[in-house]
Amino acid sequence: MTLGAVDIASYLPVLLLMTMAILFAIGNLAGSQLIGPRRTGAVKEGTYESGMNPVGNARKRFNIRFYLIAMVFLVFDIEIIFLYPWAVTFPNLDHQYADGAVWLGRILFFMLTTIVAYIYGYRKGVFKFD
Amino acid sequence: MIEKLSTLWPEITLLIAATLSMILGVSPSLAIRRLCAPIAAAALVIAGLLAYGDDPRAATVPNLALPHLAQYGKVITAAIGLLLLLLCVGLPDRDYEAKLARGGVFDALRNTRGEFYAFFLFSLTGLMLCAGADDLIWLFLALELVSLPTYIMVAISTSRNRSMEAAVKYFFLGALGAATFLYGFALIYGATGTTYLPKIAEIFQAQYAAGGLSGIAVAGLVLSVIGVCFKIAAVPMHFYTADVYQGAHASVTAFLAFVPKTAGFFALMLLLATVGWASGEATTSGLPQPLHTILWIIAVLTMTAGNVLAVLQNSVKRIFAYSSIAHSGYMLVGLIAGPVVGDGSLQSSGLAAVLFYLVAYGVTNVGVFAVLASLEKRKAGAAAETTDEVDSISDFRGLCSTSPLLGWTLVISCVGLLGLPPLLGFFSKMPLLTSGIRAGEYGLVVVLVINSAIAAYYYLRIASTALLESPDLASSSTVRPVGIPTRPIAGLAAAACVVALSLYTITDFARFGAKYDLPHKQVIPAPSAPSAKEAPAKSPSAPSAPAAQPQANVPGATTTN
Repeated sequence: MTLGAVDIASYLPVLLLMTMAILFAIGNLAGSQLIGPRRTGAVKEGTYESGMNPVGNARKRFNIRFYLIAMVFLVFDIEIIFLYPWAVTFPNLDHQYADGAVWLGRILFFMLTTIVAYIYGYRKGVFKFD
Repeated sequence: MIEKLSTLWPEITLLIAATLSMILGVSPSLAIRRLCAPIAAAALVIAGLLAYGDDPRAATVPNLALPHLAQYGKVITAAIGLLLLLLCVGLPDRDYEAKLARGGVFDALRNTRGEFYAFFLFSLTGLMLCAGADDLIWLFLALELVSLPTYIMVAISTSRNRSMEAAVKYFFLGALGAATFLYGFALIYGATGTTYLPKIAEIFQAQYAAGGLSGIAVAGLVLSVIGVCFKIAAVPMHFYTADVYQGAHASVTAFLAFVPKTAGFFALMLLLATVGWASGEATTSGLPQPLHTILWIIAVLTMTAGNVLAVLQNSVKRIFAYSSIAHSGYMLVGLIAGPVVGDGSLQSSGLAAVLFYLVAYGVTNVGVFAVLASLEKRKAGAAAETTDEVDSISDFRGLCSTSPLLGWTLVISCVGLLGLPPLLGFFSKMPLLTSGIRAGEYGLVVVLVINSAIAAYYYLRIASTALLESPDLASSSTVRPVGIPTRPIAGLAAAACVVALSLYTITDFARFGAKYDLPHKQVIPAPSAPSAKEAPAKSPSAPSAPAAQPQANVPGATTTN
């Protein structure tokens, strides 16, 4: 392990990158202040809604159920994020490799944890719409 | 990797119990909901027995500076966890269950019982994992697993707004602390190129040999120590303590005063063990100079600020919050003094002193907070439901005559925390002093003694209010016991432990837990599981083996995957 003695000089590219990032931000802001035209209008001052006309007020109340559904969705989202790379890697394992069962066991355990979360959400009444 | 799992059976037990109670706790049937607490108790007993039964650490990871810390930590976690569980039974959903009993409809969304026990067990799991950590990432995750559940436990401990406020404060300052030590860990990784603690120790030794630690390593260690100061409520990060302890329910406060603090001290021990307490020659103790200076300042400020601010308080919970800060300061003295190589005696090894002090403080603290949790206060004219926690010192007036069991528990616990000779506090503070003297830290020892004298003021003030004054019958509010029998039992058990442990101190076990090998002289122990009566390790005067020899077969590959 030769990393014991760290030479600060090897961090120079990082410093350079950070300086460039800061200068880029400052340069853009200053540039648009200095040379940008200043025309204004009703549409330009309006809320940017990706091209749609803004309708109504932002202070709209949502049902709390949407929040709970979003939380449950997160659980399954995380699960699929881990399942996908696992599924891509698993067939490439050497068939003689004895630890295949361990690999399978790990992902099954991980799926078990998400199932527990699902059962908990179900018992808590997250999926009940009344 | 998979072999490592076999060392984690106590944690796995707690995890399974946490999952079970999470699901059973939302059941519409009261009988099933009530199973949560017995399940948690059974899991803690099983986990404690599993941890006591064997020494998993020595069997699989030979190259660790503190090989027995894991076993010691897991056993005391389970033991004090049981006391804390007694204290917390009946806390979650008390008002809600009362409403159901009057004929309400069960709504799983409003019910927090399952979550409370699950988070209780998750936090203790984190504490056990923290004791057995051998990797920076493991250590970080364990510390977070300790803390994250406690934020929620504070919030759901009562239905008052004060608890919410306390939880939010605790959460944001906790995030600051976590960010600080995570940054420190990142810098340590940058300086050494590994997250495996024994490997880091090895590289630090190489840096010593080459003329000193690199600047990045020192910065990383200092940031880590300051970040972990949040967990132990030491000075630069102590501001949350009083508000959070006061806002949470007394049962949860007892939990906060033991679990995160113990986790913080385990983390500090593991981190400092990587640089070692013998940076110079083996005879003098000594952390590297910058770390030593910072810890010295933190210790002095923590002791003094804690005690002086506690003197100014009238709220009992705030007094014990500041006294918890002061006790962290005392323990930092032992941490600075450091261990002696090999098993060492309790009188000379600072780490053994700290490990024993953690148990003593945890037990005595449960006694105090059990009394607080067992009493409630009601205004004279108010309705039956509007009770409040006892908080002011005058609420304890004449407690020894109105309810003798609670009163004497309070007196014994207060005097125990103060450290008067016949009780546990004395036998746990003594080794801190002797180890400080052994290490030549005379300044710290003097500050510690002066602070113990300051602490006498507020501990004796509480004890004498309960013992000597007569009950205030003409007062506008009445103090009476809460109808939950497990809380006084927890208090009595804690007081009994305070007396019993001072008669028969478990110092051998603490000494066993503090066994320390110099990082560069580590020997790979024999494959048989060593016991407390193991032959003493190689003496410090033994000629140092060539540093490269034992590391030839470091199992680095097993941990990176």
